Amino acid sequence: MSNQVRVLHYLNQFFGGVGSEDKANIPPECHEGPVGPGRLLQATLRSSSAGSVVATVVCGDNYIVENEQQALEEVGAALDRYKPNLVVAGPAFDAGRYGLGCALVCMAANARGIPAITGMHPENTGVLTHRLHLTAVPTGAEASGMQAAMERMVRLGLRLAAGEELGPAMEEGYVPRGIRRAVDHSQTGAERAYSMMMARVSGDEYVSEVQAPGYETVSPAPPIKDVSKANIALVTSGGLVPKGNPDNQVGGRARDFFRYSIDGLDRLGTDDWESVHMGFSTVHLNTRDPSYVLPLPIVREIEREGVIAGVYSHFLSTTGNGTPVTTARRMGSEIGSELRAAGIDGVLLVAT
Amino acid sequence: MAKEIEKTGIPVAVLTALPIIPLSVGAARVVRGVRVEHVCGDPRLTPEVDRKLGRRIVETALEALQTEVDGPTRFVPPDEPLMEELGLGV
Repeated sequence: MSNQVRVLHYLNQFFGGVGSEDKANIPPECHEGPVGPGRLLQATLRSSSAGSVVATVVCGDNYIVENEQQALEEVGAALDRYKPNLVVAGPAFDAGRYGLGCALVCMAANARGIPAITGMHPENTGVLTHRLHLTAVPTGAEASGMQAAMERMVRLGLRLAAGEELGPAMEEGYVPRGIRRAVDHSQTGAERAYSMMMARVSGDEYVSEVQAPGYETVSPAPPIKDVSKANIALVTSGGLVPKGNPDNQVGGRARDFFRYSIDGLDRLGTDDWESVHMGFSTVHLNTRDPSYVLPLPIVREIEREGVIAGVYSHFLSTTGNGTPVTTARRMGSEIGSELRAAGIDGVLLVAT
Repeated sequence: MAKEIEKTGIPVAVLTALPIIPLSVGAARVVRGVRVEHVCGDPRLTPEVDRKLGRRIVETALEALQTEVDGPTRFVPPDEPLMEELGLGV
């Protein structure tokens, strides 16, 4: 039994069965054996008699991203205690903070010399921020892909645990890390470039050897010279809408933004406004103060003091939760055109 | 979203509890807020201190809008001693 792989599994509060967004602030908890989808992980490991889940760490999505250092110390203590040969995190699908948490846990494991694997949507925040350090199998957005994701994570994870080095991402089926390695080719660069060019002109398929970077670089706009002459617009991705949600804004994967008048308005009350965001607990916004995602009272105060010249008559609002990059780009471009036409000099964008 | 707005020539200050996200996708001016559930303030504070904290965050955002940057830049409101004192440090 000495060649049995000891796996430590990482889950968020939701998959760990603790609760929903209201439990997203819980610190790490350690359990012996598998929990929730860990049972599927256990079954997958056992079907190949490869090993078992020795422990599961469950942590709140907010806790791990907001208290990274403390959270990782506690995860580290669990790693020291259970001495796993492999850490499996998630899969996180398109859940951004969960994906970021999985990435942090994998990196904490790697720092201790323990191989780690995770699974998430290729556009997940975890990939965006830590791509270079992550072995992640790509998943869809929905948790219905759990079984397929788990099987692929186990397949690659066991190879990592055995000390194998994985081949290129495209061949092995993990999310490209953006690492280029020196390899032996039977053809010279000129020959490969020629074949690629011929494939391209004849409309055949080919794969570039240099993958384009995932994110477009935009030159920053010039700063505001005199803020006391500036008109400022407020934008939020906090899902803020008039009470009753007249435009039926959604709580996640929003495709639209809406504009709401704040003309003559000094503050936002919970009687008239609400957040429909479903990616975090909106209890503070909806019972105490919606301005936590749209600082209108403060902006009005500095407007009265003459710090800024004026505030755009409307605020623009969307729900930033699992929004695909292409959608975010389109919304940003439309918002930009509108604000440009309105003579706006600067934007405060609250991103939740 | 912020990048597309910046493309039109208008500077954007992104206020967020998780600066690493906009910074890694290339947003130019990123201001650290409090927490995901309450970016521009903190309901655990008294309304007066909460307001003060919110004001510092917005002032930092205005400062960011007036700052020349050549790439993703993080701006931190000068409230860290206050937040740490209250046990709210990130």
